[in-house]
Parts: sequence; C-alpha cells; structure tokens
Amino acid sequence: MTASATSEPAAHAASDVSRTQEAILAAYAELIEELGTDDVPFRLIARRAGVGERTVFRNYATRVELLLATAAWIESRIFSRQDSPSIFDMPLTIRAAMESYDLRPELAHVVAETTMRGISGAAPSPRRAKLEAMIDAEISGVSDVERGAIVAALAHLDSAATWVTFRREFGMSRSDIADAAAWAAEAVLDPIRSRVG
Amino acid sequence: MAEAVDTPTAILANAAAALRENPFDDISYRSLGDAVGVSERTVYRHFPTRSHLLEGVAGWIESTAFPLPPFVTIAQFQEASRARFLAFDASPAFAFVCARAASISPTGDAEPTFFTRALVAMLAANHPSVNERDLRRTAATLRYFASAQFWARMRTGFEMSAPAIADVFDRTVAQALGEVISRTDAEMARVSRRAHG
Repeated sequence: MTASATSEPAAHAASDVSRTQEAILAAYAELIEELGTDDVPFRLIARRAGVGERTVFRNYATRVELLLATAAWIESRIFSRQDSPSIFDMPLTIRAAMESYDLRPELAHVVAETTMRGISGAAPSPRRAKLEAMIDAEISGVSDVERGAIVAALAHLDSAATWVTFRREFGMSRSDIADAAAWAAEAVLDPIRSRVG
Repeated sequence: MAEAVDTPTAILANAAAALRENPFDDISYRSLGDAVGVSERTVYRHFPTRSHLLEGVAGWIESTAFPLPPFVTIAQFQEASRARFLAFDASPAFAFVCARAASISPTGDAEPTFFTRALVAMLAANHPSVNERDLRRTAATLRYFASAQFWARMRTGFEMSAPAIADVFDRTVAQALGEVISRTDAEMARVSRRAHG
C-alpha cells in the first residue's frame, strides 16, 4: 500500500448513492436516533427528507431494503475509519471505532443487528479485503490458515457488535470498551509482530 | 401444542417453528395469534414491539435448541463453544435470530446472560491471581468470540463452517489467555524470587 493510496478516502459501498437517496438515508438515521427505534413510518422519513413518500418507495421498495441501505450508509459515513497503512495500527483504529459507536448508541445497534442477518443482511465484514492486503504488504511467512484467522478475528473486533457485547454483557464504560477491544486486537496480532518485512 | 404452556411461551414456540419456513421479518403477529388461538391484540400485549418478539424468540431458542453445556475449565469452555458452533451450523435460521437478538438495543434492563456469568466465574476460579481489569477484558473477548454473532460473521463474511470457526475461536482464546497468563506467571516468578531471595 502506497502513501498516496492512504491519503484518499476509501471508496465505500455507500458512495454511489444519489443526492435524493442520501437525503432519505440521513433522514432515517436521524429519526432512528430521535425515536430510539428503526420502526419509523415511511411518511415521517419522507417528510424529514423533504421528498414525497412515493419517492422513498421508488428508491427503497421495502422497509428491509431501506434499513439495510441506511445501515451501510451509517457504517461508512458516520462510523468511517481512518485509513491506516499498517496492520499494527488496527488496535488504534478499533479503539477509535469503539469510541464513535459509544457516542451514537442507537446507530451502533442498527449497524450491529443488520450485519447479523446472513446473506440477506448487511455485509458483516466490509473491510476484510483491506485487512488481507495490509497483512500481505507487511508480513512475510504467514500461512493461509494463520492469515485467515488473524483477518477474521480483527474483522470481528472491528465492528459494532463488539461495542454492543462489551457494553451489554459486561457493563463497560466507553473507555473500558475501547481499551478492551484494542487489547484483544493486540493479542491477535502478537504472533506476527516479529515477522514484519 | 401437545403440552399445556402459557400463552407467551406458545407464541414463541410457534414463532420459532415458523422460522423454518420464513425469515423472522416475514412472521406476522396475526399469523402467530391464529396459530396459538389468540387475537393479534394479545400477541401485541405480550410482545409490544418486534424487538421484544425477537428477544423472546431468541431466548426460547437458546434454551431449547442451543443449551450451554456446563464448563469449569478453559478446555471444557472451548469444547462447549465448539459444540455450539456445530449446533448453529445445524440450525442456521435459529442461530441468526440469536445473533440478531444479541445485537439490538435491549428492550429492558441489559443484564449479563448466564453464559457471561459462568465464563467470568470459571476464569476467576482458574486464574485467581489475574487482576480484575485483565479478567474482565479476557472474559469479554472470550465471550464475544464464543457468541452466535461470531458464528454469523464467520459464516456470512468468511464463508466458514463450524470446524473452521471453532479453529479461529481456539486460536483467539489462546492468544487472549496467553496475554494474561504469561504476565501473571512472570509476576508470580518475581514474587517467589523475592520471597526466597
């Protein structure tokens, strides 16, 4: 990975939305936060977005379709990751991600839940290819099995479900969650630390 | 239903049965009421929102389809988790519902599950010299990688089945435990040197 590649924001799944779609997705995200539920009438979403209800339906035929598009938009726009060149920056990236989830709990839950729906849901590991590329660029002598396991574990940690679980099951504070998730990522990276180059 | 059960349990059992044919989002309150022989209104009274229903169904599934084998050692915990990953593979629709329910904004007071409490107790008993902070973040990591959410992400995002998922789980458990146990061993060695020297 080159320096110029990291200075540009990554192309993400939500970058191909139209201006109208962007208004709808942002309006829905806003209403989810305000009402504390994703069960928001299309009428309200349309009014907030400044479009007709029919325009919402034309872009997103079903409630599920709209929710999944909104979750992808939230993850890439509101919880966007800083592009870092090194796999060993992942603990820092994860720490920052946990802090941003903690600031927007309703949205974090929406992202976490929609990635748990199987193939009909939102992509559960949108940064998998990036993680693989970082390891390949930096580490030599890693078997496919080991590389796969490290990428899988980091992808799992770098997600909203980590924040949900650490908070819900362990009652952790924002800084405790960030510390614990970063610590776990360090543990996952430990075996390859000596194999840089 | 052959056995006499209370209405909410009958609703949940019917919702779980309906998951064999339909995704959770397509199961209507009306069809659940019809199946149980109560009005749609009664279903709403027991489960005011779909989040309540999702949590209820997941709880019913956890206790009937995915009971947690008891564990008092790390090895037994790993064995129990591997067995659960295999059970998830055998009933993916059930497992995805559990993964989703664990990720939504909790409808009531968020309490740690029995699984979490059992895991914390097991770690504390097996590693009494580990400090509170390390114990909590180790437990959080192990709990999160033993979850239906981990299974769901690995299955959808990494095309893995249970044996491969359990391997990534085992590797991560070893790494996380290695962090605290090797450190504790070093501390113990220091203490005993001080005591003898």
